[in-house]
Amino acid sequence: MSNLLEVEQLSKTYVKHLGLFRRKRIQALHDISFSLQSGKTLAIVGETGSGKSTLAKLLVGIEKPDSGVIRLAGEPVEISHYKKYNHVIRFIFQDASQSLNPLQKVGQMLEDVLRFSTILDPTQRRTKIRQTLRQLGLLDEHAEFYPHMFSGGQLQRVALARALILDPKLLILDQALSALDPSLRAQIVNLLLELQQKNDLAYLLITNNLQLVQHLSDDMLVLSEGETTDYGPTAEVFRAPRHDYTRKLLNSLL
Amino acid sequence: MLLLDIKNLTIELETPDGLIRAVDRVSLSLKEGETRGLVGESGSGKSLVAKAIVGVLNRRWHVHADRFNWLGQDLLRISSEQRRQIIGRDIAMIYQEPSRSLDPTAEIGEQLEEAIPSHLLESRWWQRPFERKKRAIALLHKVGIRDHQNVMQSYPFQLSEGVCQKIMIAMAIAKNPKLLIADEPTTALESTTQAQLFRLLASFNQLKGMAVLLISHELESVARYTQNLSVLYCGQLVESGDTASLLQQPLHPYTDALIKSVPEFQPELAPKSPLYALHGSIPTLQHLPIGCRLGPRCPNARKECVKTPQQERLQNHFFSCHFPLQGKGDK
Repeated sequence: MSNLLEVEQLSKTYVKHLGLFRRKRIQALHDISFSLQSGKTLAIVGETGSGKSTLAKLLVGIEKPDSGVIRLAGEPVEISHYKKYNHVIRFIFQDASQSLNPLQKVGQMLEDVLRFSTILDPTQRRTKIRQTLRQLGLLDEHAEFYPHMFSGGQLQRVALARALILDPKLLILDQALSALDPSLRAQIVNLLLELQQKNDLAYLLITNNLQLVQHLSDDMLVLSEGETTDYGPTAEVFRAPRHDYTRKLLNSLL
Repeated sequence: MLLLDIKNLTIELETPDGLIRAVDRVSLSLKEGETRGLVGESGSGKSLVAKAIVGVLNRRWHVHADRFNWLGQDLLRISSEQRRQIIGRDIAMIYQEPSRSLDPTAEIGEQLEEAIPSHLLESRWWQRPFERKKRAIALLHKVGIRDHQNVMQSYPFQLSEGVCQKIMIAMAIAKNPKLLIADEPTTALESTTQAQLFRLLASFNQLKGMAVLLISHELESVARYTQNLSVLYCGQLVESGDTASLLQQPLHPYTDALIKSVPEFQPELAPKSPLYALHGSIPTLQHLPIGCRLGPRCPNARKECVKTPQQERLQNHFFSCHFPLQGKGDK
């Protein structure tokens, strides 16, 4: 099976201006390489400041990498042309209740996504919206709802709908599961697993919750201060962590 | 001796549409030196219970209880002045987001020194500022902050969330409380710092005999550090008992669902297999179902469930359900 996403030696440095001439360079990411096949899940684990979110930003093109190559389906891409790639990689934020526009109906929000990124005409768009809502276990009427009318679990579904409406191949979940209550989290986890099986979606899971990592992911990548400390199949990393930092992280579980 | 003994605590909120019962007849008791976990999802009223104990709910909330005893004295039947004195002396609370509940305009050292009550100081009045400072430094050392020099002179925003939470704990233990209430102390923190903080709380519990009421929505972390557990759902106490037996043999369908939804408690569950989840979502306070509030989501709900179940007892294990999972025949 070919790799959906390959990342080679990605680096990113932020420069902080401290004065007229003084500058401080902060290395957020240093030589990160990994690959992800479709239908698989890669978990990225690390403390705050370890560069997890920077990595996510580089992958969706919010920031440009200093060096390194990102390959989609074997071809190197300039990911910051997000008009071109945003239907391949989609992003879900931490808190759905804060990342959705409260003044916009859900249907309108989904329609905007389609209008900007596809060439569908209005009727096609409407069918597509209905399809997507159904796929996620929501009703057609929900298109006329405002975000505040939904409960937490449904909102997360709406956020998923916004991501999935363009039929992406890769979904980046930036702490998307940590703010949820346990029973809702189980619901969303089930939904994600089902979607993965049905549509061959790949997930990039950024989280602090190691139990979820163990349950959901095929591979995991442990970041510490911008460097990879461990990378491999999840079961193996959990069984025999190579790096001290990973060991410490896993021990915090016990 | 029972430290805290609450029987049928009811908390109601005044709204334009009448009273809403946010917490419905919850009983809770704490012995000296006990650690108890209070688990529930958002909106289950767990923070309300904590706030009712420390008495910081405003006038819109009506608090009633058959019994609300602190060391044998009913807190709801004495003047608020007296209540404040008792609570201020004996109970300390840690709030959810440390960086928000610390004063952003004052240095940590100043806030920490302020938290040390005067009656604990032994020296003459002119020596007191020095003693306060010494005590503040000692407190920081106790919670595992070695770099006291720097931390004392920083403002909350300059410190990481984990360090802020440790400072909150330091402030809470400054008065040697008998009970420490920790309201979701680790939600904003990393997994490594979380473990550190729980160990810290556990060590204070063991060394000083301080009772801890640990409130959280994460069953797995609470279960690891507490002796007893109470589970709330939508303001009703669904089950309580000692942690190990409750996890091993839940009697209420909700507790069962909570346990099954956490992969950690299901070691034989294959990765990527679906988790057990209750359908539906938590009802809002305006639309609470009558009777057992889990009713509409419960897998084995029957006609009787429209009546509120009474609390029943199986040894040291309390539950409120008409149809407990193991059946009543076991009694």
